[in-house]
Amino acid sequence: MDELLREYLPVLIFLAIAIGISVAMLLASGILATQKPDSEKLSAYECGFEAFDDARSRFDVRFYLVAILFIIFDLEVAFLFPWAISLGKIGLFGFWSMVIFLGILTIGFVYEWRKGALEWE
Amino acid sequence: MEAAVVFLPLLGAIIAGFFGRMIGDKAAQYIPCVLLTVSALISYYLFFAVALGGDPRTIVLFEWVTSGELEFFWSLKVDTLTAVMLIVVTTVSAVVHIYSIGYMHHDTSIPRFFAYLSLFTFFMLMLVTADNLVQLFFGWEGVGLCSYLLIGFWYDKPTANAAAIKAFLVNRVGDIGFALGIFATFVLFDTVRLDDIFALATSKSDATLVFLDIEFHALTIICLLLFIGAMGKSAQIGLHTWLPDAMEGPTPVSALIHAATMVTAGVFMVVRLSPLFEQSDVALMVVTVIGASTAFIAATIGLTQNDIKRVIAYSTCSQLGYMFFAIGVSAYPAAIFHLMTHAFFKALLFLGSGSVIHAMSDEQDMRKMGGLWKLIPVTYALMWIGSLALAGIGIPGTLIGFAGFFSKDVILESAFAAHTGVGTFAFWLGIAAAFMTAFYSWRLLFMTFHGAPRCDEKTLAHVHESPRVMIWPLFLLAAGAILSGALGYHLFVGDGMATFWGDSIAILPTHTALADAHHVPVWVKALPLVMVAGGIGLAYYMYMVRTDLAAIWAEKLRPAYLLSFNKWYFDEIYERLFVRSAFYLGRGFWKAGDGAVIDGVGPDGIAASTIRFARRASALQSGYLYHYAFAMLIGVVVLVTFYFFTGTGG
Amino acid sequence: MTELPDMLAAGPEIFLAVMGMVLMMVGVFSSEKRALGIVSGLAVASLVVTLASVVWMADGRIVAFSGLFLTDSFAVFMKTLVLLGAVLVLIMSENYIQREGMARFEFPVLVIYATVGMMMMISANDLISLYIGLELQSLSLYVLAAFQRDRGRSSEAGLKYFVLGALSSCLLLYGCSLIYGFTGTTQFEALAVLFTGKESAASPGLVVGIVFLSAGLAFKVSAVPFHMWTPDVYEGAPTPVTAFFAVAPKIAAIALFLRVMLEPFGGLIDEWRQIIVLISVASMVLGAFAAVAQRNIKRLMAYSSIGHVGYALVGLASGSEAGLRGVLIYMAIYLVMNVGAFACILCMQINGRMVEQIDDLAGSAKSHPMMALGILVFMFSLAGIPPMAGFFGKFFIFTAAIEAELYTLAIIGVVSSVVGAFYYLRIVKIVYFDDLLEPFDKPIGRSLGTIMTLSGVVTILFFLYPAPILDSASIAAAALFPG
Repeated sequence: MDELLREYLPVLIFLAIAIGISVAMLLASGILATQKPDSEKLSAYECGFEAFDDARSRFDVRFYLVAILFIIFDLEVAFLFPWAISLGKIGLFGFWSMVIFLGILTIGFVYEWRKGALEWE
Repeated sequence: MEAAVVFLPLLGAIIAGFFGRMIGDKAAQYIPCVLLTVSALISYYLFFAVALGGDPRTIVLFEWVTSGELEFFWSLKVDTLTAVMLIVVTTVSAVVHIYSIGYMHHDTSIPRFFAYLSLFTFFMLMLVTADNLVQLFFGWEGVGLCSYLLIGFWYDKPTANAAAIKAFLVNRVGDIGFALGIFATFVLFDTVRLDDIFALATSKSDATLVFLDIEFHALTIICLLLFIGAMGKSAQIGLHTWLPDAMEGPTPVSALIHAATMVTAGVFMVVRLSPLFEQSDVALMVVTVIGASTAFIAATIGLTQNDIKRVIAYSTCSQLGYMFFAIGVSAYPAAIFHLMTHAFFKALLFLGSGSVIHAMSDEQDMRKMGGLWKLIPVTYALMWIGSLALAGIGIPGTLIGFAGFFSKDVILESAFAAHTGVGTFAFWLGIAAAFMTAFYSWRLLFMTFHGAPRCDEKTLAHVHESPRVMIWPLFLLAAGAILSGALGYHLFVGDGMATFWGDSIAILPTHTALADAHHVPVWVKALPLVMVAGGIGLAYYMYMVRTDLAAIWAEKLRPAYLLSFNKWYFDEIYERLFVRSAFYLGRGFWKAGDGAVIDGVGPDGIAASTIRFARRASALQSGYLYHYAFAMLIGVVVLVTFYFFTGTGG
Repeated sequence: MTELPDMLAAGPEIFLAVMGMVLMMVGVFSSEKRALGIVSGLAVASLVVTLASVVWMADGRIVAFSGLFLTDSFAVFMKTLVLLGAVLVLIMSENYIQREGMARFEFPVLVIYATVGMMMMISANDLISLYIGLELQSLSLYVLAAFQRDRGRSSEAGLKYFVLGALSSCLLLYGCSLIYGFTGTTQFEALAVLFTGKESAASPGLVVGIVFLSAGLAFKVSAVPFHMWTPDVYEGAPTPVTAFFAVAPKIAAIALFLRVMLEPFGGLIDEWRQIIVLISVASMVLGAFAAVAQRNIKRLMAYSSIGHVGYALVGLASGSEAGLRGVLIYMAIYLVMNVGAFACILCMQINGRMVEQIDDLAGSAKSHPMMALGILVFMFSLAGIPPMAGFFGKFFIFTAAIEAELYTLAIIGVVSSVVGAFYYLRIVKIVYFDDLLEPFDKPIGRSLGTIMTLSGVVTILFFLYPAPILDSASIAAAALFPG
């Protein structure tokens, strides 16, 4: 049991440092910067939406499209990290697997490009 | 030869029935007549060869059924009894065929009529020549069928249809008894062949049948069951109601089927099975009582009927009663003797009345007749002969007398000579019936032929003697009605009877009624004649001298009159007891059973609930996503719960 | 460790997947007008090639990709059916997609992807590859359902299918994780070893996992009570898509269902049989009864397919080789008669407009005698009236059920097929005996006519020469019952 917990110790340290840094940043800006608040500045900013509004409002589907496309490549990167670390162990098969995966993604990318999904207008 | 007798009528039926349209009405009439006449002539030859020559024979035609123990053939058994029946059937049938040429010549479906008539004759001949019970039953049902077809011959008449159905249904009641009797016979004897049964009859006289844990004397049960069949066919009291209604059929049919032949099939059958009946005193007693009661009750009904054919029909019923109580006292030869003479004179009476009806333009109500004797003298004379024969006029102790005199008197004497309770009962009822027979016969004669004409002028002007083709056959029957008694007395019931009948009739030595009948006191021999004379006299007085008397007496003796006029309310009682309850039952089954239960719960109900269920099931499909998702989750929960509750898992 | 896996076992799947991508590129780089023509032609061709290679490679049992993937004669049989269904539907829909404003080359490509997914499902030998195949199939199907995106009903169908499909995937995954949690493996063979020959080796948690897994699978085969999406999606989706839904995914899902239940969990048959019986009875009864009240022919076919899945599950419930063989025969016949029936439905257009009401069929025997004859044959067969093929399908299933002593199940099955006969025969009655209102357009198109005739002939004449299907079904069934 202790063994298990000890393995998670780095995570705990990581958490502590992260929290410490963010708290320090907030405090520093509050103390050092000049504050000129107005209503626009005080409202939360989130991709052009009102933060506390009815969720069932219309928005342009193009946002959604871009978000989806972003997520796909985001995930691709998420896969790339573990692959890169373990490349030595999984050998040629692992390498080519990822290349094929990237190839497939590329085909998708070509498709969406040709379809004009990347054009805003 | 023997086969020819039986199958010539069938040939005639086929020709007239299937090719009637092709060969035309004339040929369809004459061919069956010729074939039947040939058949009749052959049967006379057979009578001489078999009955007088003492040469009984059985001709096997071909195998019918072989199934385990059950084995029998199509075959023709001709012994004295059969030979007598053959001449009776073929003679009357031939006469009726010829007579019908005249009687039916206005009709539109002559071939059909002759086909039925010949077919009937074929079945009747199959019946009398049967050498096993199943063939007997075949003929029995066949004549029933033809009777049904012929009663309902004028099928556009509702009453005729109703009468036909009634005859058929009432006969079914009897036939159930007969069929059960055959089954029981097979159970007891392991055979349905008559000769084998007779050979075993004595040895089985103490056998018993266990039914519902009660032991019955087997032969008594069998005989009673068979007798129920005979009661239906021969219109004995209780199952007689169809016979008067059957008069809806054409008159030749009444003469042939409902007077001379088919209705006597019951008598024939019981006589044929005399070796069985002899073994059961109880059965014979029942036969006597039923026969005597029928003779009496039918006669009382005959007193007040106004339809000329109904009077004769009740008379037939009554005479059949005589035959049965003759059987009941073991005087089988007397029964057959009476059967034969009765066939002649009753056919004569029917055909005579048919001639009257024909003359009166199809009027049957005697109250609308009267004064006809000058207009149709030949018919008048023939009716007299028939009535005299029916009443039994003759001089005791001699061979002078009409046919009925010999046969009826020997029956009454046998009944007296039996010296048993039921015999005496039958004797006195028979005497009373004889008185009434004479009365209603002459009532018929007086009302029809004497007094002032009561019909309308048009009918009266049209009254004419029947054509020769109708009259000539009657002469033959008249000859039979006059002579057959005197001619047959010696052979049938006299000293020659033992050799004449041979093995065809069995009578136990202890049953001596018929032999003793010749030694009864003189008053017994004279009494019937006195009663007959009294009956005739009374009829004369009431309908010729004091014509108002009938109405006055009817008023004074109103209950008795109504009882007689309404036929002892048999029809009404049956209507209440059976017909209506059957209707109620049927309606109950129809409305409640079939309509509500079977249709309601069954097809209709299931269909309706299917649709209801279908509506519900598709209403589940609301279209809302969250309903669907909810249903899925519920489904998972149900499955898990179900799994844990059925306990199949750990 | 790093040696290359046996790619050849998955050859057909790899080929088809590559073809899918190639076609996507071809489509996107050719002119918009010609894209659909080229792509559908190539799609049909590549499906046919895949079919040929599947049949050609049909030899023995090969496990590949570290036990994730396997192919055996059962898989071959089922893949053949799926590919046949896909090819036929693609050919059939040619006319329709041109007409109905869905002339986009993505349609055949999506069909190909879905088919690859189905083949993965059929060949899955691990809970993980099972899920991969299932999702690949499902995602393609969601899009297909909403393919007529300008039409409300189609979008609604796609969305409903997607949301509920996601829910079912949740159930399935939860089931998988429970199973993994209680056994420590996701491999079918390992699971099978775990359960063979041990009395009630299953802990309640494991069985709950199995229940969740079967719930997910039951959703895919649209068995009650996870059927709710079926009528709405069938009705809303474009008709060729509905035809596709009714055949290929259903067969694939049934195949998966059979394999999962009989192979890894075959030793636990006493545990899950009751659940399958319950689902089967509910499907048969609901399929029979709810269809009675339908007026839309596609909805009716939806309930019909629910009912048919119920019958197929009867064979699964019997848990025997005979039962499995019955299911396989049943699915083969089901494919033929459904393709035929949908070919008839695709003929239902008046003045260039598709109609879907049953009443629109009234009296069509007078204007389209051949189509009416087709409807007669397929409805009789769906109802299970001899000598049509459908009768034999039911016959083998019920025989197996009776041999497994599932008498109640067999009786309910027969009763509900009697009820079912009502609505099938009602269609025949409407076609033949009602008065013609407005005749359908002529001609119906060569490809439709050909498919209708072919499947009709197979349906009618199946009884003359059933040996090929019966034999290969026997061989396929034997694959799941070694020894």
